[in-house]
Amino acid sequence: MLPQVLFSGLALGSIYGLVALGFALVFKATDVLNFAQGMFVVVGAFLAVTAGTQLHLPFALTLMFIVVAAALIGAAIQALLIRPLTGRSMLSIIMVTIALSIVLRALIEIIFGPQPRALTTPMPTGVFIVEGVRISQLHMLAAGVSWLCLGLFALFFRFTTFGLQMRATANGHEAALVSGINVDFVNRVAWAIGSVLAAIGGLFLAQLQLASTELEGIGLLALPAVVIGGLQSIPGAIIGGLLVGLIEQLASSYVSPRSADIFVYTLLLLVLMVRPWGLFGQRELGRV
Amino acid sequence: MGMWGIRVGPVLGLAAGLLLGASPLAFAASESPADGVYADHIDWGVIMDLSGPTSASQAVWTAGIKDYIRKVDDAGGINGRKINLLVEDERFDASLDRIAFEKLTGQTPVLGISGMGNASAQVALASTIRRGKVPVLGSYTTTKAVTEPPTPMFYGGFCGYKEMAQVGVGALTERLKLAAPKVVTVHLDTAGGKEYADFVNAAAMRHGGSSKAVPIKANAADATAQVLEIIASKPDFVAVHGTATTPVLLMRAMQQYGLPTPVFGMAYIGTPIVYNSLPPEAGSRYSFVSCFTPGGTDDSAGMKAMTESADKFGHSAMKDDINYVAGWVIGQLVTEAIAKAGPDVTREKLVAMLSKGFSIDTKGLSAPVSYTPEDHSGIALLKPFGFDYATKRFTGSGTYDEARKYEQ
Amino acid sequence: MSGEQAAVSAAPAVRPARGWRAPVLLVLGVAAACYLPFILTERAIFGVRLSNMQLLNIGLTQVNLMMITLLGALSLNYLTGIAGLISIGHAAFYAMGAMAGAVFGTQLGLPFPVVLAGSALVGAATGVVAGLPSLRVRGLYFVLSTFALHYIVVFMLSEYQFRFFDVVGIPFEEATLGTFVLDTPLRWYFFLLVLCVLVYVGLRNSLRTREGRAMMAMRDHELAASAAGIDVRILRLKAFACSSAIAAVAGTLYSYYMTNVNAEFFTIDFAIQFVAIIIIGGMGSLAGSLVGAAVWLLLPAVITGFAAQIGSTDSAFGTLLTESKPQLVNLIFGSLVIVLLIFAPGGIAGIGRSLRDRLSVRVR
Repeated sequence: MLPQVLFSGLALGSIYGLVALGFALVFKATDVLNFAQGMFVVVGAFLAVTAGTQLHLPFALTLMFIVVAAALIGAAIQALLIRPLTGRSMLSIIMVTIALSIVLRALIEIIFGPQPRALTTPMPTGVFIVEGVRISQLHMLAAGVSWLCLGLFALFFRFTTFGLQMRATANGHEAALVSGINVDFVNRVAWAIGSVLAAIGGLFLAQLQLASTELEGIGLLALPAVVIGGLQSIPGAIIGGLLVGLIEQLASSYVSPRSADIFVYTLLLLVLMVRPWGLFGQRELGRV
Repeated sequence: MGMWGIRVGPVLGLAAGLLLGASPLAFAASESPADGVYADHIDWGVIMDLSGPTSASQAVWTAGIKDYIRKVDDAGGINGRKINLLVEDERFDASLDRIAFEKLTGQTPVLGISGMGNASAQVALASTIRRGKVPVLGSYTTTKAVTEPPTPMFYGGFCGYKEMAQVGVGALTERLKLAAPKVVTVHLDTAGGKEYADFVNAAAMRHGGSSKAVPIKANAADATAQVLEIIASKPDFVAVHGTATTPVLLMRAMQQYGLPTPVFGMAYIGTPIVYNSLPPEAGSRYSFVSCFTPGGTDDSAGMKAMTESADKFGHSAMKDDINYVAGWVIGQLVTEAIAKAGPDVTREKLVAMLSKGFSIDTKGLSAPVSYTPEDHSGIALLKPFGFDYATKRFTGSGTYDEARKYEQ
Repeated sequence: MSGEQAAVSAAPAVRPARGWRAPVLLVLGVAAACYLPFILTERAIFGVRLSNMQLLNIGLTQVNLMMITLLGALSLNYLTGIAGLISIGHAAFYAMGAMAGAVFGTQLGLPFPVVLAGSALVGAATGVVAGLPSLRVRGLYFVLSTFALHYIVVFMLSEYQFRFFDVVGIPFEEATLGTFVLDTPLRWYFFLLVLCVLVYVGLRNSLRTREGRAMMAMRDHELAASAAGIDVRILRLKAFACSSAIAAVAGTLYSYYMTNVNAEFFTIDFAIQFVAIIIIGGMGSLAGSLVGAAVWLLLPAVITGFAAQIGSTDSAFGTLLTESKPQLVNLIFGSLVIVLLIFAPGGIAGIGRSLRDRLSVRVR
């Protein structure tokens, strides 16, 4: 039973890690805790419904459609809502993202109606059996794609000029400005990437269950994941996501599903008390 | 100091401005009868979750009742009056239920109220409903607080958890020819889920069997833990409580583990989306019990009328959902009750008529809907339904009356 | 109508230097606040009937529930705006208040005022515990610790509820103060009004004390405050205890008003509403909280009322209106909040301040 639980926990955790990575990127670039990240997951799920189920696009095109549309939505939100709020208090910006998720939810319900939608994609649904452990192909695929995205972004940050600019901006806005980086553009790209990562998470979550606005709650698990891993840390977001996925599956199997959240949030509280900068973050701000 | 001072003038001015600004838009306050009955129309209230976590089913129910009322209104209304639905969105927030109930009692008075799908909110309002003057007719969920003992102010409109559990367990025990059924109940880890698991347990015990409750989170993304639990306890069949997502997750995970165990869901999750998102070999193992006949199951007179209207009003995609049928049936219940209460209907007359006993014929759309002075639950019989993937239609088995033998 | 109420709670804030205007406004404000519930109940003003929309689709229960939420918002504003501590965990204190109410009131059957006092104590104690992370972390990290607190407390409440009560919730008796039974919205209104004014005046005056000034010093510059001999840590915990005691009492009141409370009531949205109210109203402005509460809790009803006035037509917009009216209301509401946040950095209190400055310039 244990290897089975561990596997499904890691697979789910990979999806959370993906969403959490988007969350961490946005935070690193713009210092915004994006409470609408959960709704971005829902947006991704419904983009998939639009492309795959309604427009009957082939799967590759569906993926492209999701990536492009989500990137545009993320960039537009940065330009229209986040940029005018530069320099405002953290809480006002958090509040804007909360109001944004109210608006997005309403829009999605107006366009798609109240009933959840089933996602029809050619993603595999079978199982491999390895040494008595059943490995869901969909879980494998979700984990695989998540890790691929994570790898691509790691390469992007390390080896491309733009990735370097993004890292520089995250380390200090003024310094980046002085060295001639277009900080606003960098921020917009960060929001676009954050939105794309959430949307891909949404695609998989909708395939695992259904496309509905209730996926928001699952998407919001990225918040504790990011903090446990370390708000300033990219690998931390991923490890945090995996940890949340593991804790959730272990708690559901051995204690009770309702206790899963409590374990996650107790760990969050412990991390905040002992290592406020997170498991992988750098020791800096936020301590008294 | 400046930060504390608030300029009284501008605030008062703003309030006055808002009041004045609203007045031209408002109707002349000429007549406003306390019972919501006007010369040309009757106001009737609906309180449901239309944009909250349970809107996936409750908004569909609301579309059902709206469509029935619209059909009646298009045909001239009742005794020359059209029925005007005042729909209040409660977003699954009990305090909004309280606000909406007060509003429909006095602010924009209605003759009666339907819906109220939030069980905790209904319990919170129970004493207000019992003491009040506005009848609740056709509720989406029915709690003990309003039916035991019955009050002339409350009439249920959906089969209860207890009956769902009894009929589901009874029918599957008989179909699988079990001597002592062993059941696993997968339920949401909420108050309602716990209650349902207890009813399934009682029903299994009555057949000499046993049951085990396995909770699942409301917005879970995976059911591996639950399926491993099912594998460990080897049940004869599984009962599910939840939203549409719950059986989808569960059936998919069971299929991956090659588990052929039959599963039955409660009435609220007898929706097409569950079957559409499952492969046929998994979906054919899923059945549900319901007191409403989903669209497309048969060609009864009631079904034909409902299908025709649903297509006309642009709700073809909803008519196969039992929640839509439930709303539609309550629309019929409300209009026939108003008609029977007479041309000069008031809340008092409506309550007097209902409390003596009342029933409607839904022409094949549901189990019998009837109230007696002692029993206000309304709909008590259910039957099992499945889905035929070849014809893409729901299939009912047996008649609603046969369910009597499973119920106490 | 919210304006009239604002007048009452704000009236004491008017400076005595204004001569005759302050007492007149105070009397007018009190009169308006006392007449308001009768307008909302009778749906008429001085005998002239008003339509539902002329009263902005608002009822007395709505105002009462708003006042209960306002108590939480005032206490959160005190904590955030004055002491510089931000908390998303205020619903957790409401939940503690509900639990304290259930133990003292429903289970032990103590009288209502005793229950309220008990829940204030429980709230203060929980507040000290919840404030402990503030000794180690601050800013964003502290916000997140209160977020975690929310889930943990609500889990405790649901375990408690399932252990001792029916699955549909914890029942609460009718609240009585001596012989005064709080059985109608009208009676609740006057009780809550007095309570809101007391809390408002109390919090406002506490800022004028030595400790209040120390707190603001702490918020503005922590190091300087410590250097001036203020024990910042103790002060923070005191602020937290005071704020959460008020929130817990509000939670008990909420439970008694609802008569039945389910742990599922205390969602993260419930917690977010307090933050929303103080940001919209203007952080640091206690009076702004009132306007913020009115916007967050009453505006959706006003928008719904206007939407109901538009007759359904066969146009595309008409179809949209009949099919998704609640969504449209949420859409307009969310957009208005965003616009407000972008164009009014200091919240509504900030708008008020800049209006006044402009007016006073013109007068001179």
